[in-house]
Amino acid sequence: MNAIQIKNVTKRYHDVTALDHVSFSFAFGKIYGFLGRNGAGKSTLINIIANRIFADEGEVLVDGIPARENMLVHEKLFCMSEADLYEKNLKVKDHFKWMQRFYDCFDLDKAFQTAEKFELDVNQKFKALSKGYQSIFKLIAALSLNVRYVIFDEPVLGLDANHRELFYDLLLRDFETREQTIIIATHLIEEVANIIEEVVLIDKGKVLLQESTDTLLETGYCISGLAQDVDDYCRGKNVIGYDELGSLKLAYLLGEKAQLPQGSHLQISPMNLQKLFVKLTEKGGN
Amino acid sequence: MKKLKAAIQYECMTSFKYIWYFYAIQYAIVLLISLIVAIGTGSFDNIGSNCLEINSLIFVGILGALGYREDFRMLIQNGFTRKYIFIATVSLYLFISGIMALVDTIMGNVLHAVRPDYFSLYGALYGYHNVLINWLWLFLVYMAVCFLLYLMILVINRIGKTASVCLGVALGGCVLLVFALFRFVLPGRTVAAIAEFARNAMGFMGDGTVYHAFPVLTLLLLGGILGIGSFAIIRRTELK
Repeated sequence: MNAIQIKNVTKRYHDVTALDHVSFSFAFGKIYGFLGRNGAGKSTLINIIANRIFADEGEVLVDGIPARENMLVHEKLFCMSEADLYEKNLKVKDHFKWMQRFYDCFDLDKAFQTAEKFELDVNQKFKALSKGYQSIFKLIAALSLNVRYVIFDEPVLGLDANHRELFYDLLLRDFETREQTIIIATHLIEEVANIIEEVVLIDKGKVLLQESTDTLLETGYCISGLAQDVDDYCRGKNVIGYDELGSLKLAYLLGEKAQLPQGSHLQISPMNLQKLFVKLTEKGGN
Repeated sequence: MKKLKAAIQYECMTSFKYIWYFYAIQYAIVLLISLIVAIGTGSFDNIGSNCLEINSLIFVGILGALGYREDFRMLIQNGFTRKYIFIATVSLYLFISGIMALVDTIMGNVLHAVRPDYFSLYGALYGYHNVLINWLWLFLVYMAVCFLLYLMILVINRIGKTASVCLGVALGGCVLLVFALFRFVLPGRTVAAIAEFARNAMGFMGDGTVYHAFPVLTLLLLGGILGIGSFAIIRRTELK
């Protein structure tokens, strides 16, 4: 099967269950938004997929191959981490040269060209780079690898707006020409909302939903009006959250939009991905 | 195999220069101390130190153990499995131990030839009869030290700081207990037999002859045990 399959994965840290029997798949050829609040279990799952930590139960398969301690997945998967795992005393250009030795699919020329676009000084040691440029270095490393699955864990941390735009632009251009799956784990939901095709939302170690972005945006909407009217409208519907402002009430719903009653003062408006995320994870927290 | 070769090259090539930094600093310090003593006493007699390999032992241990965290993180980031990381690390130990044993064997023999009152560690124990055995012995000692410290750092990484401190205290207690056992509990004949076994294991026979093969086998066995222990831990090690 062409996918990253997460099968019944559980991970515990002492009394805390970071992942609780999580099962889903990242299909091949899509851009995923892997969303969740702090401590939701995103990084834990990414680290298990990348063989950095081990699941207590369950397994991860990459194109049907077990990801645990398996060099067969080496050329298939790369994970750009939020954490700095690179040797700090090596120069950027030496990092690129080592990556060329480590991976058959690393494009050295592309790495240097992309570094030029980001104005990254390749003669600097990794430790001498600012936090933003350290992130840029890690992004360039990931962008220069032609693997089937690339995971970006908080990819734009510390990047200014120009560099963020450049990254998304390069990412999309690559995606048009390559066949690969891109998984972006981030808090900056609105920023990736236009890029991602499918959303996986995780909270408290469990998958809350996996849905295409279009479907979510089509089925997610907000109803506002007087509290009584809103409550009447929402009866029997999938309400994921409320906001109240005086006598005005806003309800956030998922599902098919029902016709507003004749002469109703209710207003219907689309719900953006960030609001959907906030309300769903609030609900999970209740 | 290509990937493994790349990981081994990474380990060895990024550590190679530190060997020469170490020797440059070590011999600069020896020279400086010698000059200070010579200027102070007005004579070059009775200056210099013996057993410079002790410094190398400390250095290979530090290089082997302290390099663990950075190299593990770097290689795991680049998709290598723990088995590959372990093989690359062992290759690094073979590489640095081999080079440093060679340098120390040559320097030990040259210094002893120039100044007969200088004794290398091996020379002081076994004499200066066989350069090849001298190198092999030093090489295996360095390897055993590397594996010992590698195992220690892996254990510390796995069990955490507090448990490591407790383990250290317990091990210290065990050492004291063993000394007490030898001194007060075990019969004199048993203690003598154990001491003789230890001497034999290092090649010193009861009749005064020296078997060089015994310390080689002992160190191989020790290195093997420590290496297997290290592998058993690293294959379960998680990124922290």
